[in-house]
Amino acid sequence: MALSLNVNGDRRGFTADPVTPLVDVLREEFHLTGAKPVCREGFCGACMVLVDDRPTLSCLMPAALAQGCEVRTVEGLAANGTLNPIQQALEACDAVQCGMCFPGMVVTLTHLMKATPGATRDDVRSALTGNICRCTGYESIVEAAVRALTAT
Amino acid sequence: MTTNPLLQSGPAGSFYVAPSLPAALDALSDYGTAGAPFAGGTWIMRSPIRHEQLKAHYVAIGKIPELSAVKIGTDTIEIGAAVTHAALALALARLPEFGVLTAAAGRAANPAIRAMATIGGNLSATAFAAADCVPALLCLNAEVEIASRNDRERINLEQFLRMRSTLAPGRLLTRIVVPRNARKTAHARLPLRQSGDYPVAIVSLAVATDPANRVQAVRIAVGSVEPAARRWVRLEAALLGHVLNPVQATKVAAELADEFTGRDSVEVPAWYRVSVLPSLVRRAAVAALGS
Repeated sequence: MALSLNVNGDRRGFTADPVTPLVDVLREEFHLTGAKPVCREGFCGACMVLVDDRPTLSCLMPAALAQGCEVRTVEGLAANGTLNPIQQALEACDAVQCGMCFPGMVVTLTHLMKATPGATRDDVRSALTGNICRCTGYESIVEAAVRALTAT
Repeated sequence: MTTNPLLQSGPAGSFYVAPSLPAALDALSDYGTAGAPFAGGTWIMRSPIRHEQLKAHYVAIGKIPELSAVKIGTDTIEIGAAVTHAALALALARLPEFGVLTAAAGRAANPAIRAMATIGGNLSATAFAAADCVPALLCLNAEVEIASRNDRERINLEQFLRMRSTLAPGRLLTRIVVPRNARKTAHARLPLRQSGDYPVAIVSLAVATDPANRVQAVRIAVGSVEPAARRWVRLEAALLGHVLNPVQATKVAAELADEFTGRDSVEVPAWYRVSVLPSLVRRAAVAALGS
């Protein structure tokens, strides 16, 4: 089936089964490998992308349903090459992880900063409920998010 | 092109995003057994993991306005089948009598799942034993509306749970109707992690009491313990007419819990699900009295 998506501001066409998970299209068709297909159950959050500005589990979204939506992956969060505030805070706090869970966390926190600029530490923790880090490096990530929120 | 080997079977299917309820019902009727409704997708998209074949045709119902609204009336609330958990929790946040449903919808799974998963899907996913909203709606005495191309009928939720696995092709759960009553409600659940997890067991409680906290009417439902949620009728009968006392309710629940046969799973053994029920009854009673 011929489909088209708007990904990181670019319109892209491809052919796939309409129920193909969005994460597979992003990775295999468009080579945007930031989103990771890890659990494929919506539990780990490693595949998180923004769909119409909402954090969305791309392993559970069929490609056909993403048509007409604005999809933004972790690769598209830095406008004109400038890291967004949460990306800057994560870098400044040395809050990086192995790279499996981290892109999903950056996507989730980018949305939190935009949607809830007055978010508290508890809000940050709640927002990250669906992003699992096997390295258990949550604290430095939460701290960076709080710092970014405080600075805005 | 997918790298998920479990999805590499069968010819490419179709995916129809229905603009209206009649259009969805027509499509479902035309597809028959080869088709199925697609609401939030959080259950269907995991079919390959369960080694279940995907349908050849899906009819997406999430963009149908009629199915995406919560109507709050004087006597009832009506919930469209495609209302997400997040939207439902938000819509009911200011109605204490629906605290049990707000908690069920607002604490299930994780934020991204709650933004996708729908109430209709939660009720219709036959094999999903840990659905939070099912016991919550059972204790609220909910009814559901089933529609097809040619007719509509309303049945109580317990009846729907018994027949949902054999629902004829072309028939769709379209809305949930919940009566409004003066009652105290609570939703007690035990996930293995503090949050973001499915519960080991659930106790949902709706109780009407007199000024002395004597139980005048009560409905209690248990979820996640057995393959499908159900009411705990014997416990309801034991509490009726007595002062709602969390300690006493716990004791009675412990005496009656052997009527449940827990489901075994990789997460917890069957006996454990049953063993936590008295504690969840206590927590539900405490929460209801405080509400």
